[in-house]
Amino acid sequence: MIAAGLDIGSVNSKLVILEDDKPVFKKTVPTRFDPVSTGRELLEQVHREYEPQEIVVTGYGRVSFPESRIITEITCQAKGCHYFYPEISYILDLGGQDAKVIKKNSQGKVVSFVMNDKCAAGTGRFLDVILKGLDLAPSDINLALEAEPVTINSMCTVFAESEVITLLAKGTPKLSVLAGLFKSTATRLACFIETQGQPDAVIFTGGGAYYRPLIHQLEKQLSSKVVVPPEPELTAAYGAALSAKMK
Amino acid sequence: MENRELWASLNMDLEKHDDFLSGLPGVFTSLFLDRPNRPKAMGYFDMIVGDIHGIRVKELVALKEKGHKVFSTFCVYVPEEIIAAAGSACIGLCAGAQYTVPAGEKVLPRNMCPLVKSTMGFKLERICPYFQVSDWVIGETTCDGKKKAWELLNDYIPTYVMELPQKKKLADTAFWEHEVKEFAAFIEQETKVKLTGDNLAEGIRKINNKRAALKRLAALRKASPAPIHGLDVLLINQLAFFDDPERFAGQVNSLCDELEERIERKEGIAAENAPRILITGTPQPIPAWKIHALIERAGGVVVGEETCTGERYYKDLTEPAEAADQMLSNIAKRPLNVNCACFTPNTGRLEDIVTMANDLHADGVIDFTLQFCQPYSVESYTVGKELDQQNIPHLKLESDFSEEDQGQLKTRIDAFLEMLK
Repeated sequence: MIAAGLDIGSVNSKLVILEDDKPVFKKTVPTRFDPVSTGRELLEQVHREYEPQEIVVTGYGRVSFPESRIITEITCQAKGCHYFYPEISYILDLGGQDAKVIKKNSQGKVVSFVMNDKCAAGTGRFLDVILKGLDLAPSDINLALEAEPVTINSMCTVFAESEVITLLAKGTPKLSVLAGLFKSTATRLACFIETQGQPDAVIFTGGGAYYRPLIHQLEKQLSSKVVVPPEPELTAAYGAALSAKMK
Repeated sequence: MENRELWASLNMDLEKHDDFLSGLPGVFTSLFLDRPNRPKAMGYFDMIVGDIHGIRVKELVALKEKGHKVFSTFCVYVPEEIIAAAGSACIGLCAGAQYTVPAGEKVLPRNMCPLVKSTMGFKLERICPYFQVSDWVIGETTCDGKKKAWELLNDYIPTYVMELPQKKKLADTAFWEHEVKEFAAFIEQETKVKLTGDNLAEGIRKINNKRAALKRLAALRKASPAPIHGLDVLLINQLAFFDDPERFAGQVNSLCDELEERIERKEGIAAENAPRILITGTPQPIPAWKIHALIERAGGVVVGEETCTGERYYKDLTEPAEAADQMLSNIAKRPLNVNCACFTPNTGRLEDIVTMANDLHADGVIDFTLQFCQPYSVESYTVGKELDQQNIPHLKLESDFSEEDQGQLKTRIDAFLEMLK
């Protein structure tokens, strides 16, 4: 059976097609503030090339596709992560617009979840804004692993940006600022995870899971293992495709 | 008298008031009137909302012309019975609109309860006829935000503050009884009506009848399939604060008769397997409808509210008595059974939530807190722990009266309902 999962996120839209639970096609494209056309184009491609029996649309753009089967990204994320790591209960998803912690049971069903409040603090957007301000190449980011982090107190994106500017003006090395940024984000995310319990291991998904210094800081602060799926931004789309299959 | 004449006579800002009310008919039509299968008896309540700043305000003006007074309240602890006994009107004021929040922020801090800011804004902008027609505001010391806001509000309208104790020990009960008796003396002085055994008995009867009708309605929500939308009941609970108590009780009872017939026929407004949600937390004053609306649009049904715009308002009746003094004591006793997060400890609330969840066959509990409400948001932790222990799924939501977070709320609510399936 061919099943498709489409996850229309705030930054990227992701498509996964499964044939008998094996991925046959995967694609990530920018959403570009236009979830409707981005989603429509992807859906057209899916129909043209794969003729899936079932499709599920998830992500914040799902509401623009009421004619499709829609399931929230929380339920899909749990299902997708369960496919990769059935033995781990805790999921941290750091997306463009929000951060969430999901706890799943042994069947991959959500038992509880929390999301950040209506503010960019601790989300992918927060990291984006500050990284842009630091003007570092993506390849430089991992160098923060070696740097001594400075303390960054502000979690408000705007305030943190001005705090960073002040630090740089004082001559603090960019990489220390960067390391500090990951450390403060990790502190916030670790507390966020611990509102749901004390995990032995956490699955880290979303675009944020590409930042190795952040993973390192999270492991340190949680004293637990942080695992990242092979393509951490695709797990919700996997979950959507898996849900599509189970009608 | 035409509405506009009425509003002008109350020194309202007509232009702002037009702007404020202009959105209401559209919202009310899409949220309420367009929904299929509503009970016929909702017609009365729809009519009240249809002329929300007309009919009832005219009645209050007429009451005042006969020499009676209008007292405005913001809390279920204020003893309505005493005001009713004196032949005056007790009305709960509008406090659930984002529209007036910016005006409230002219005098209050931004990082503050939206309910208090909304209230203040309504008075500063002169767009609530109920505020304009009121002789007094009766405040209380439930939370710090309100307590300090009364000092500011007193510059615009005379504000009487009742001091509510924060514990429920014997000394606190005695203190509150004294506070209620002092309030009774204040009402006598203001209304020039002597409180007697006869009029107090009548006041207790009127308000008890209203609470009994609301309790009857709440009990009918145990039925499955749910005979009425939670949003409709929320509206009724909100209107309970300012409609004429006797007429209102009659209308609620007619609605209950209709719902009993529905239940008999096993007729509901949602499928039998629709997730049943209990709301707990802070009040949702009119027109704060968004949480109920989002839940019910997502396919759930709200079966109860453990809030001040719900169960806490009507769950206890005042015990009748022979003598006036004993009546006042009983009036004081009733509200101390209400479990508000302003009390410490407040374990009674946990029992209330669990009992309601079980009685109403709720599949999950949504703990809704208004932003910056410290007592309720701190207590959320305790509530969550208790619900975990009882194996009742729960979700915490925090919001204000604005519409901008509907998307985020929708994702959380949709995911919670998926979790319950």
